[in-house]
Amino acid sequence: MGQFFRVLLSPMAFAAGFLWPLATQLLVGLGIVEAGWPAVIIGAAVAMPLGILAQIRGSWIWIK
Amino acid sequence: MDQVISADNLAALTETQLDVLERRIAGKYMNIVPWGAIAWGIGNCLVFIALFPLVLMDILPLWLASPIATLSILLSYLPSHEAQHNIIAGRGKPLRWLNELVGHVSTIPMVYPYRVLRATHMEHHKHTNHPDKDCDIDTHAKSNADFLLQSLKNRQPGSARNGAYGRCLQRIGRSELMLDAVLMQSAYLMILFVMAWTGHAIEAALLWWIPKMIAETYLTYFLAWAPHYPGTELGRYRDTRAFQSRLGNVLSMGMQFHIIHHLYPRIPLMKTPAAYRELRPILQKRGCELGGL
Repeated sequence: MGQFFRVLLSPMAFAAGFLWPLATQLLVGLGIVEAGWPAVIIGAAVAMPLGILAQIRGSWIWIK
Repeated sequence: MDQVISADNLAALTETQLDVLERRIAGKYMNIVPWGAIAWGIGNCLVFIALFPLVLMDILPLWLASPIATLSILLSYLPSHEAQHNIIAGRGKPLRWLNELVGHVSTIPMVYPYRVLRATHMEHHKHTNHPDKDCDIDTHAKSNADFLLQSLKNRQPGSARNGAYGRCLQRIGRSELMLDAVLMQSAYLMILFVMAWTGHAIEAALLWWIPKMIAETYLTYFLAWAPHYPGTELGRYRDTRAFQSRLGNVLSMGMQFHIIHHLYPRIPLMKTPAAYRELRPILQKRGCELGGL
């Protein structure tokens, strides 16, 4: 159970669970990419590096 | 009594007489049930929750709901703060249930568990400005600009601020309360994730995620940073100050008079301006920092 909460509360989970669909929907909403798989993949390309950065460095924006 | 509270007469009082006078004045503003804060705490939470169905059913536009959500999160802390200090009703009093209800419900929008806030806030009062024991010490900063930078740093997953309340609870032997924080944060994230993956990520961001960040920064500025600035002194009359806010008392959330709250935490927020005005000559004599207020 402890492991479940550790994963849920991690930056990677936030990136995958929230930032990824947010980036996808923003890209579509702003007319930058058409809805569909390309939008989903570009959304992941935007969100997941941020998640990796936050997970490894402990900061979403590099500065600590 | 009124005749006694003049600067000339105060000078003639002994330390004990001054103490008695100070406590007698403060006592006049205590033991008042803050019905306004009760309605505010519960009503505000209901407004916040209502925003979600109203937006998702296209009854309320997102551009209007988002600032309302920000305001609602901003307003969610102070009613709980009254409850943390048992101002609504102390232990064993008939309205104790209402005190606890307001405490738990009002901070739902800002995703802070009441029991954690109460335990850590009491430590903040006991050890204000202490570099190791004040769990809000990480909010201190040298200037407005430094506060914003510090606030940004504090928001990062690896920041010391992130674990400040956990460490405080551990120090006072109340680590079990961290479960409240874990459950509440998990529920918040699950709601964001479900909304996001069902096509409502922008709504989730503009109704909760971004408003929460804005509100937390604003609250921290006025509740934690400004009243304790520069945050270098310890002691009952020196660890908190009065200050003149450019935004006025309402927009600074009543924190201009925060010194009264630290001296007499059982005085309801709405009564602190009146208590301050009456206690001012005594505070001046005590050498408090009153910031020209």
